[in-house]
Amino acid sequence: MSHAGGLRLWFDAYLAAFNRADFPAFGDYYAEDMIFHGQAAELKGRRAVLDFYHMVRSRLQERVELLSFVAAPDGSRIAAELHTTLLALRDWPDMPTGSMRAGDARMRVSFAMYDIAEGRFTRIRTARFSPPGGNAA
Amino acid sequence: MTPEARFRAYMQAFNSSDWDALREYYAPDIRLVIGNGAELVGRDAIIDFYSEVKQQARRTIEIVQCFADGNTLAAEIESEFVAIEDAPDFAVRPMAKGDRYYLNSFVFYDFEGAQYTCIRAATFRREFRPAAAYVDPGAEIET
Repeated sequence: MSHAGGLRLWFDAYLAAFNRADFPAFGDYYAEDMIFHGQAAELKGRRAVLDFYHMVRSRLQERVELLSFVAAPDGSRIAAELHTTLLALRDWPDMPTGSMRAGDARMRVSFAMYDIAEGRFTRIRTARFSPPGGNAA
Repeated sequence: MTPEARFRAYMQAFNSSDWDALREYYAPDIRLVIGNGAELVGRDAIIDFYSEVKQQARRTIEIVQCFADGNTLAAEIESEFVAIEDAPDFAVRPMAKGDRYYLNSFVFYDFEGAQYTCIRAATFRREFRPAAAYVDPGAEIET
């Protein structure tokens, strides 16, 4: 298996863990002092990122699908195109990327850059590609 | 030539406004999709767009990083726009002469052989610096 092929499987497993809200499994991908530049938050440290996702998952379901995947030959970086679907479980009027009401669905496509060292993400940065879309239930 | 080396040559052509050279990097039916929903199709549409932008602002692109896997290259680029003239209808935002605008973008370039077939860009960071706030480090200071 090529290095890039191995990295793809590793990344697929990360997304699978993220989608089933398996916090220990996807949290294991995060370096202790990682930096996170998401569209809803800017955070430092694995604990802060996991706390953030715990808060998010108490309010909505989140599912991420991989559309495109590019790995650096040395395994130090990944660029990914991600399709995210959010489904609000309850009202979240002050959601950082725009208020949602219970039952609302929101889709978006983002480009994400992952820096990797010693088998963990040291930095994650995302940029919105598509404007937010979706339908109120 | 590796995809990364080709990309650096492509950006060199872009920065020097070598439109004839740039055209050779594009497949005839290339698509350029920008995260704001704008989409351009075809070499001429893209060249026309870039040349029009460069009439209003000097644009320089620096490659922060790039790497390829299969038929796609991913890049992080930093663009600097410096308005040459007042440009209230500039593509990114209204600009006054001397204003500077910076974009940090993540971009995917799909390619076949030596030509790009689809380019998709999303902005990660943007920063506007009005001319009034900019001090040219090379400028003489009157005392």
